[in-house]
Amino acid sequence: MDQYSILGRIGEGAHGIVFKAKHIETGETVALKKVSLRRLEDGIPNQALREIKALQEVEDNQHVVKLKEVFPHGTGFVLVFDFMLSDLSEVIRNSQRPLTPAQVKGYMMMLLRGVAYLHHNDIMHRDLKPANLLISSSGHLKIADFGLARLFSEQEERLYSHQVATRWYRAPELLYGARKYDEGVDLWAVGCIFGELLNSSPLFPGENDIEQLCCVLRVLGTPTEDSWPGIVELPDYNKITFKENPAIPLEQIVPDSSPQAVDLLYNFLVYPSNQRCSARQALLHPFFFSSPLPAHHSELPIPQRGGRPPCQRLQAPPTDFSVDLPLQCSVVDPTLLQGHAFCL
Amino acid sequence: MFHKSSQGKYWIFASEDDVEQKRCKANQNFRNKMLEGGKPGVSESKLLERHEEEVLIRHYEKRMVDFCNAFKPVMPKSVVGTAIMYFRRFYLNNSIMEYHPRIIMLTCAYLSCKVDEFNVSSTQFVGNLLQETPAGQERVLEQILEFELLLIQQLNFHLVVHNPYRPMEGLLIDLKTRYPTLENPESLRKSADDFLTQAAMTDAGLLFPPSQIALTAILNSASRAGLSMESYLNECLRLKDDKETLSKMYDSMRRMKTLLKKYELPKPEEVNASKKKLERIHAEFSSSSNKRKRGYEEDGHVAKEPRLTEDEEWTDEDLI
Repeated sequence: MDQYSILGRIGEGAHGIVFKAKHIETGETVALKKVSLRRLEDGIPNQALREIKALQEVEDNQHVVKLKEVFPHGTGFVLVFDFMLSDLSEVIRNSQRPLTPAQVKGYMMMLLRGVAYLHHNDIMHRDLKPANLLISSSGHLKIADFGLARLFSEQEERLYSHQVATRWYRAPELLYGARKYDEGVDLWAVGCIFGELLNSSPLFPGENDIEQLCCVLRVLGTPTEDSWPGIVELPDYNKITFKENPAIPLEQIVPDSSPQAVDLLYNFLVYPSNQRCSARQALLHPFFFSSPLPAHHSELPIPQRGGRPPCQRLQAPPTDFSVDLPLQCSVVDPTLLQGHAFCL
Repeated sequence: MFHKSSQGKYWIFASEDDVEQKRCKANQNFRNKMLEGGKPGVSESKLLERHEEEVLIRHYEKRMVDFCNAFKPVMPKSVVGTAIMYFRRFYLNNSIMEYHPRIIMLTCAYLSCKVDEFNVSSTQFVGNLLQETPAGQERVLEQILEFELLLIQQLNFHLVVHNPYRPMEGLLIDLKTRYPTLENPESLRKSADDFLTQAAMTDAGLLFPPSQIALTAILNSASRAGLSMESYLNECLRLKDDKETLSKMYDSMRRMKTLLKKYELPKPEEVNASKKKLERIHAEFSSSSNKRKRGYEEDGHVAKEPRLTEDEEWTDEDLI
């Protein structure tokens, strides 16, 4: 602990406070997540164990937050992460105008790369939502909060809990109480986040679990054994019936979006989990290869924590150009570029 | 993803000697600490020799496995495997004279349940200690929770353990799909399973990757049934032209079989003699803070002490 000096408090997690701190030796800014073990009936909380487990076994990826260190402290221990300036929910909430199509593409690309990486490593996150997608000071998006993450295996017949994922991003099979599911739950959440980026407001903002299902059914239409094979076998299927209604075309749900965007959204928001487009496949969708191209991370807004207005740093520095000066003073000396550019 | 795992990186050791040396060092460190500590009555002869420690480690490891196998609801094999591995990793660098294996074994099993998502509540867990009264069970639980942090620290927070059970399933599937020469691969299962059960009680998991242990189990089972698997290795696993890998692998298999052959449960009289010494060490020499953590079996009278309150808790004030 003496290796860090505390700079301030970032927030409060389920099992303790998160602090901003500086690593004294390197000067690096980090986030310290303290897990306290006092008065916990079952000892070290599962969420902390899952977080350590998932993050320790994956190698570095640009779009997954890095667990730098774990060390004991007092009656508990401390997880050390890269410090991140903000998260995607603040970006959505605080951007003064809707995100541009290029910016949405930029975020989606980083999100999908992170998800593809996790799924490739047999990790399902189970709680993807804008608040868990952190934004670094350089504009990079990194997936965080692995408190619900699970290593999955296709073989084992073990049951999972359906009480995972924050409600608005919870896949329909979970809403119907499924105990066996797969990484498709993450892909559903990706679809919800995508819709939220396009609209600047959540796609399915249910106020409780029943209403959540209503929200989804209203848009996707009442599911049938045809549109969703196996639905009748889900635990809670018979507990509740909804009035039949047809699906609303997604064009109407995300009205100002390009046809490619709508098409990609259709690929995520489908009832049968196995029909949802994998993250890896999605990265090859025409959406990412059509104009406008995905924004570079330096072109993305970086809001401050605590809801202060976002600092825009999109403009390039003004060039010193004046008609009164000799031209040589305003242009770059071509000899300096030699060896850096092929065209010279 | 074993090759990128913390197990592959930090918990596979080069040789049997390496592993033994670590344990000797842990034993020696504790002896030195006691002898230098100058407590009255401490003498070389009262402390446990390395081989006496080994007797007790095996004894308690077996007890842990028995506890796990009798556990209700039935504990999956991988959970038991992980618990054993935690236990072995813990006593690579620690002496049983410092931390009593009776409580460490239960802490290992408890942590393994949580890490492997075998979700049982803490009360349910200690409820499986059938010989204990409810009050006794609560005392044990308190001790488990007290040692949990120490355990994960000593494991260096490396929690994921790769067991050989899944690779074995994989190999069986591979045999069924790609090796029609073998008529009934399932017939190999029983004896291969037994091999893995025995291997878990040896240092195999500290020396070899889980897939190699699984392959050895399958090949061993085949050779006992009089079946040759040579063409599977040569053709399906493409080792025909890779003589070096092949000979290394045969060497590993031989070493594994030696480990299994050498394994035997300690004799009751050995256990009793060493246990007596161990109990005396914990009763007489362990520091006062350890007394609080003493075993529960023979010490039913140890009073429940209030949780420590003096150590500071993080608050905003003292940090900013």
